Amino acid sequence: MAKTYDYLFKLLLIGDSGVGKTSILFRFSEDAFNISFISTIGIDFKIRTIDLDGKKVKLQIWDTAGQERFRTITTAYYRGSMGIMLVYDVTNEKSFENIKNWIRNIEENASADVEKMILGNKCDLDSKRQVSKERGEQLAIEYQIKFVETSAKDSLNVEYAFFTLARDIKAKMEKKQEASNPAPRTGGHQLRANEQQRKPTSWLSRCSLL
Amino acid sequence: MDDDLPTDFEVIVVGTGMVESIVAAACSRIGKNVLHLDSSDHYGGLWASYNFDGLQKFIKEVNADPKRQWPVYNLSEKWYIEKESSEPEQNEDKKEGDENKTDDSKAETQKKIWSQANFTAEYRKFNIDMTPKLLFSRGPLVELLISSNIARYAEFRCVTRVLTWLNDRLAPVPCSRADVFATEAVSIVEKRMLMKMLTSIVGYNEEEMNNEFKDWNDKTFKEYLTHKGLTPNLIHYVLYAIAGGTDKMPCLEGVKECKKFLMSLGRYGNTPFLWPMYGSGELPQCFCRLCAVFGGVYCLNRPIDKVEIKTLDEGKRVVAIQSKSKTLNCNNLVVGIDECPKEMLPTEPVETSDISKAVFITNGTIMPSEKEPLTLLRFPPLTEEGHAVTVLEVGPATGSCPKGLFVVYFITKMVKDAESDLQQYAARIFDFSGDQTAESDKPKCLYSLYYNVKDTSVPVQSVASEVHVCAGPDVGLDFDRAVEQAEQVFKKICPGEEFLPRAPDPEEIVFEDDVTHGPEFARHDDEEGDAQ
Repeated sequence: MAKTYDYLFKLLLIGDSGVGKTSILFRFSEDAFNISFISTIGIDFKIRTIDLDGKKVKLQIWDTAGQERFRTITTAYYRGSMGIMLVYDVTNEKSFENIKNWIRNIEENASADVEKMILGNKCDLDSKRQVSKERGEQLAIEYQIKFVETSAKDSLNVEYAFFTLARDIKAKMEKKQEASNPAPRTGGHQLRANEQQRKPTSWLSRCSLL
Repeated sequence: MDDDLPTDFEVIVVGTGMVESIVAAACSRIGKNVLHLDSSDHYGGLWASYNFDGLQKFIKEVNADPKRQWPVYNLSEKWYIEKESSEPEQNEDKKEGDENKTDDSKAETQKKIWSQANFTAEYRKFNIDMTPKLLFSRGPLVELLISSNIARYAEFRCVTRVLTWLNDRLAPVPCSRADVFATEAVSIVEKRMLMKMLTSIVGYNEEEMNNEFKDWNDKTFKEYLTHKGLTPNLIHYVLYAIAGGTDKMPCLEGVKECKKFLMSLGRYGNTPFLWPMYGSGELPQCFCRLCAVFGGVYCLNRPIDKVEIKTLDEGKRVVAIQSKSKTLNCNNLVVGIDECPKEMLPTEPVETSDISKAVFITNGTIMPSEKEPLTLLRFPPLTEEGHAVTVLEVGPATGSCPKGLFVVYFITKMVKDAESDLQQYAARIFDFSGDQTAESDKPKCLYSLYYNVKDTSVPVQSVASEVHVCAGPDVGLDFDRAVEQAEQVFKKICPGEEFLPRAPDPEEIVFEDDVTHGPEFARHDDEEGDAQ
């Protein structure tokens, strides 16, 4: 079967509970905003394929499955991730302060060259705002990470954020390839139900069962 | 933050080891309301993988508090290299982002001289397993991962070769046809002989097997192989390398082990085995992820102090758990044996022999090969009273260590203590001189850790029917017993329910109410999660 994309990027959403990670995910993947998802039950990851400079880029975006609540994100969640959206809620000071902790968590568990971006979500709720845009920008400068304020509800900057992150990953990847130094295949195999069974190479292949 | 924790659940699982995690996932998957706790700040318990820093902390913690009943004891850690590098620090090491660029060229020019400081600097690249295990390609865990769709959380590498210790040196065990062509160790005649016997073993169903071997009940597998006319070399391959046995291995057990090995051939690679990327410790976490996706609540660093069974007015019984001055209630408690309060365990201890383990970090593979190898080595016992020793060598491609290093695990049943049990085996394949510049045909051992683990793999019945005790890791090569026990526990809690039915793929989930206009986008409290 022909591949329907040129690149596959694994992206993560990270941030405190209630900052709107799942809403951002749904806004981007389904162009929907639905407050009936009370928590993230059943949401594993979503996929959207975008067009970037003529290349099909398949984005696989993983949600935390609620494991951020008591800081119990598995190390396995970070494996193989190429980009991370750090999300806080502009109406929630604490969620902004915790971005630093999440960055520390990422440094401990994710690959060293993972691309990051900070999102200040719920910027439509200006009357309840606790974190100014300037403070968000300041934090981003401190960590040399890109930053944008978003509203999953009003569909503001969500597209922009994912496209920016994906473009940065793609650029980094192509730079590596240009340096005639293709990154060695680091991943392993995924097991699948309809796995194309290898031609039996076993020296017992004549045996009927094998 | 802890105060946010809800208090009433259908199932509370304590401990994030393999068995507990599978049970947690299975219960959550069919809609049970699950809380999953662990007393330590990381996943996995005795099944965990540690980076180098985490391993050091773990050792320190055990040594600092010897009075506590640790399931791990006799820890003995040793360095064979200098603390600081005598060479000027290469600035490549500091710039981690460019790791792919630098390491390759370095490896070509000169073998790196490692210091302890290098280990500390690259601590994150280590994933060292407390319970390293392989998966049989057609074993129950692989089938479960695929059928439940949990396989999407993990990646695997094929074990590239099986080795044995034959005539005082390492010898590859031919698994694939290519191996057989390459090897001179097996003659054409021997090959036919072996083929005939193995083909018959694979062909037997349970009944035929019991029938064929009914006269062999009290005899050893070795006697059977000898009876079949196999040459000493072939007996060695079959008994020690394929069946992983000893001279005392009962016949039927040997036949079953052989069959398991043969049945898993030809699915993914040259050998019947898979190794999880980043170590065995990833696997319990994959089950935890599924549990969380289906609503399971996770809280680490949450020891439990006391467990009581309370009978309510209507005669209904609940399990009440005291944890950090909070009472948590559930209908069923699933608890790892190392987390289980003593009052819940039967007073008579189970007789088991403990496990001797070792971890070696070396600067090269035990047997060079074209591509980076991933090796299972099975040593036959070197002494009369000893047991077979399982050795797993994993390299940087598995995410277990930085480039240029290998992590090698040794596992056997305890006779005396880990170091006395395993040192003689290690000495045969490693150079312990610590001199990294000297030429040697063996890899240099840079670091070693010996330890013993209590064998808690025998299922234990708790004193209350609502409390289900999960066994710890066994000495075996695979996860089969853990999977089997998890299913049994699940069946007790949820009789008649399907065990880990396939989780839907994200694109299969259709949301009925795809409206874009909802009520006011406001959040009222922190409890409610993301999408408020």
